[in-house]
Amino acid sequence: MGITCVPVVPHLALCIPDLGPRKRDASLQHMLAHARDSGSLRDLDSIHDALLLRERLGPTAIGRGVAVPNARALAVLEPRWILARSARGIEWNAPDGQPVHLVLMVLSPPDWTVRAHVEAVARAAAITRLARARTRLLEARGAEEMAALVRQGTS
Amino acid sequence: MNSLDALTRLHDLDLLSQLVQDRAAAARLGALGFSPPGPAGLERVRARLAGSLERRWLSIYERAHARYGRGLAAVRDRVCQGCFITLPTAALPGPDAPMMCESCGRVLCWR
Repeated sequence: MGITCVPVVPHLALCIPDLGPRKRDASLQHMLAHARDSGSLRDLDSIHDALLLRERLGPTAIGRGVAVPNARALAVLEPRWILARSARGIEWNAPDGQPVHLVLMVLSPPDWTVRAHVEAVARAAAITRLARARTRLLEARGAEEMAALVRQGTS
Repeated sequence: MNSLDALTRLHDLDLLSQLVQDRAAAARLGALGFSPPGPAGLERVRARLAGSLERRWLSIYERAHARYGRGLAAVRDRVCQGCFITLPTAALPGPDAPMMCESCGRVLCWR
């Protein structure tokens, strides 16, 4: 009989209610800089490269204005989610051609298994699956309300 | 890019390759709407990165990668996070210099 390890929902390190950059690469850099400042990352450049490589090989925008950039990388000290919102939208090569308004970055440490990382990504994507949930996140009054909605979505 | 930077990128690329090669993971991510990265693109980038490395470090990395699934381990509080042995106090390379764990053979990242 196999044993299934269900990971805990990673700690939501940061919510950025008004993401400034309009370009994908700059947005990723901006979010990572916040994560580094909060002590979640060992090194910014290598994880930025890992995320950019992932985007070049296949975009992580999943349509309906949502992107879930994700990586397992040596630079990640603890599993983290970083949520950012862009009112103007970010060009992300989404399959539906729509600009991205919600970015939920999932960072996993290198010792996490593929299965645990994919589970974390799936949970992050699930938060924004319903139109009502996306609207609530887009209309939330600030970082605290966004964080509360994410907690509610994962509980 | 110094050797440790290149090894770190190679390590992260190999973690991504593990995800791409895992059929169940790829299927689940595909069902969520993700575009799966093609293995051919990954191999091209890997070959370029590997080509930029000194042969000695590449060989140490590849040997540990083949044995454990990961060729690089971080160091925290002088402990190798691959085999959890406490490293000798005499071992103190610069932050950009790679070093090999004498216990498990992984390349160590002290940053």
